[in-house]
Amino acid sequence: MKIPRKEELLKLQAKYRTDKRIGEALGGVPEYLVAYWRRKKNIGRYSLPKYSKEQIKDLWERYGNDTKAGAELGISKSGFYKWRKLYNLLEKPKALKFQQLEFSLAGQTGLSKSAGIPVNQSSRKSTIAQKLLAKKAGKAEILVGEIVNVEPDLAMSHDNAGLVIKQFKQIGQSQVWNPHRIVIPLDHRAPAESEKTATAHKSIRGFVREQKIKNFYDIKEGICHQVVIEKAHILPGELAVGTDSHTTSYGCLGALSTGIGATEMAALWATGRIWLKVPDSINIIIQGKMPKGVYAKDVILYIIGQLTVEGASYKSVEYYGETVTKMSVSERFTLCNLSMEMGAKFAVVPFDRIARKYLFSITRQKYEPIFSDRDAVFEKEYEFDVSNLEPQVACPHNVDNVKPISEVKGIKVDQVVLGSCTNGRLDDLKVAAKILKGKKIHPEIRMLILPATRTIYLQAMKKGYLKTFLDAGAVILNPGCGPCLGAHEGILAAGERCLATTNRNFKGRMGSPESFVYLASPAVAATTAIKGEIADPREFVK
Amino acid sequence: MEQITGRVWKLGDNIDTDVIYPGKYLPIIDAPEMALHVLEGLDPEFPKKIEKGDVIVAGFNFGCGSSREQAATSLKHAGIACIVAKSFSRIFFRNAINQGLALVQSKDAPDKIQPGETITINFASGEIITSQNQRFSFPPLPEFLMGILEDGGLIPHVKKSLKS
Repeated sequence: MKIPRKEELLKLQAKYRTDKRIGEALGGVPEYLVAYWRRKKNIGRYSLPKYSKEQIKDLWERYGNDTKAGAELGISKSGFYKWRKLYNLLEKPKALKFQQLEFSLAGQTGLSKSAGIPVNQSSRKSTIAQKLLAKKAGKAEILVGEIVNVEPDLAMSHDNAGLVIKQFKQIGQSQVWNPHRIVIPLDHRAPAESEKTATAHKSIRGFVREQKIKNFYDIKEGICHQVVIEKAHILPGELAVGTDSHTTSYGCLGALSTGIGATEMAALWATGRIWLKVPDSINIIIQGKMPKGVYAKDVILYIIGQLTVEGASYKSVEYYGETVTKMSVSERFTLCNLSMEMGAKFAVVPFDRIARKYLFSITRQKYEPIFSDRDAVFEKEYEFDVSNLEPQVACPHNVDNVKPISEVKGIKVDQVVLGSCTNGRLDDLKVAAKILKGKKIHPEIRMLILPATRTIYLQAMKKGYLKTFLDAGAVILNPGCGPCLGAHEGILAAGERCLATTNRNFKGRMGSPESFVYLASPAVAATTAIKGEIADPREFVK
Repeated sequence: MEQITGRVWKLGDNIDTDVIYPGKYLPIIDAPEMALHVLEGLDPEFPKKIEKGDVIVAGFNFGCGSSREQAATSLKHAGIACIVAKSFSRIFFRNAINQGLALVQSKDAPDKIQPGETITINFASGEIITSQNQRFSFPPLPEFLMGILEDGGLIPHVKKSLKS
């Protein structure tokens, strides 16, 4: 009997698969002999593919990385590479899918559970707000509208801690409930602009010493919300309250956070408890690639313009969609921060790998992220496509008075402010520095720049942004809130106009009730500073 | 706190906390001094015009913006007895209750009430009664919030509950 050659044997194997059937086809050759020939010719045993093309494709699009995708299947990096080579998946996916996207588009993408992705299988139809507040209240589930008395993970106050302390003393409790959960950065009037503020700051310094509150950041550190994030005082799945309306910002890490008043904070310091109503949730899906010169600030201003200042009143807003999944933590911060301006109680971008990566760079603390159930019930759902969005500007005197730049360009301004918790981070400074590099600020413009924190200030210094700003003719102020709330450092006179990257343009917000504030992105701010009038940044952004 | 009768000051929609209490006065921590600047952003003469027991009637989203409690405190100490609005911003709502300042939410009443008229707000029956004897009912506040209001604010309320 003639022994088949290697090519013949491979053909037979492709057709008959098993050694037994190959033997039968060859006219009764025993199975062990076929196996012997195979080994001699270095041909492996035939095996069915373990993983389907859909499965491999799904993991590849989800991770775009052989090691991570392989880890999901328990195989090595090269093992996964072989599989995707087999299915001809050689190009890197353009966009990565994430669990949150799977949630928002469930059914449409048809991602299978068999792909080994941990999916939320709860049938309780709960949103992040419901699940997190239920966890805090020690309940299995919780309904919208219920009022719970909970102990937050973080209680943040800034300069208004002075007022909180006054109220706390009236209650008559000698000790705060938990000094480790209280964080106090001084930022609103830092350094003190008046004797009254100096007195308040002094009383705060005395109080934190006496109560052993370690997480106190004196005037040097920067804006409270950014400090909280940078120092990892809030983690995914946690609950925070703060005596500042923009406390909603911590949603950028998948936490729930909201603003409260000073008296409530005093009661919280005394009792460790606060009442919160479980809010309805709304789901905002943002799709499309942001065009050049358009940033997270433009996206959220556009959304506020569409939904109005009351559009998310008392609601918990959850952000989904491919645009959001690709945003950095800083951009997500801008989204959650400004969500307050449409009345949101909470604003949250569900935790994902971008948030995980950011957190890994600052802390090794453990945390438990919380996600909405796949079938969570939202009161409303909105979808926005930003692929054709223009830069946006919120005009006086309401944040929802939003217009595309084409309608407002040419308006002369007197002052430009770059900074605040909304847009004072390194990426914001970078955008502005790129535009201002080698250029001069218009002689009739005063440009004020406030890096949000000391850390950002130092980074901007290392990167050379500060030199660019100074060369261009800007004034760099110390980290803090500065002129955003009209406290000091750049107050407007009657009739003056200011374009700012801050968060509010209410009448009198930055000084005289007769002044005007326009809100826009750092790119618009930098371009406006050069031109002396509100200008479109797209011609400067390459 | 059964009923409040007072003269009406009518304001519009989206009355924000920067208008109610401008940021430049935030370092003040003494409540009666705060009252001297209430609503200055809208009309610098306002603090002088308000009399004890007056009522504010406004549109949507009253108290939006900053979490500054001074907005509620200054209104309360300027003598405002109650605010009737189509809706309130979340933090202002909490702050007002915590300061013992009564709030009434009514979608219809603000449009019908005239500036300067005297209205009566009856909490027991849940009704606003205008000088023309028009009646508008409003939903009562949750019981524990009424408890805070009746104790005169959150501080006395917490003090009371810590004692018992």
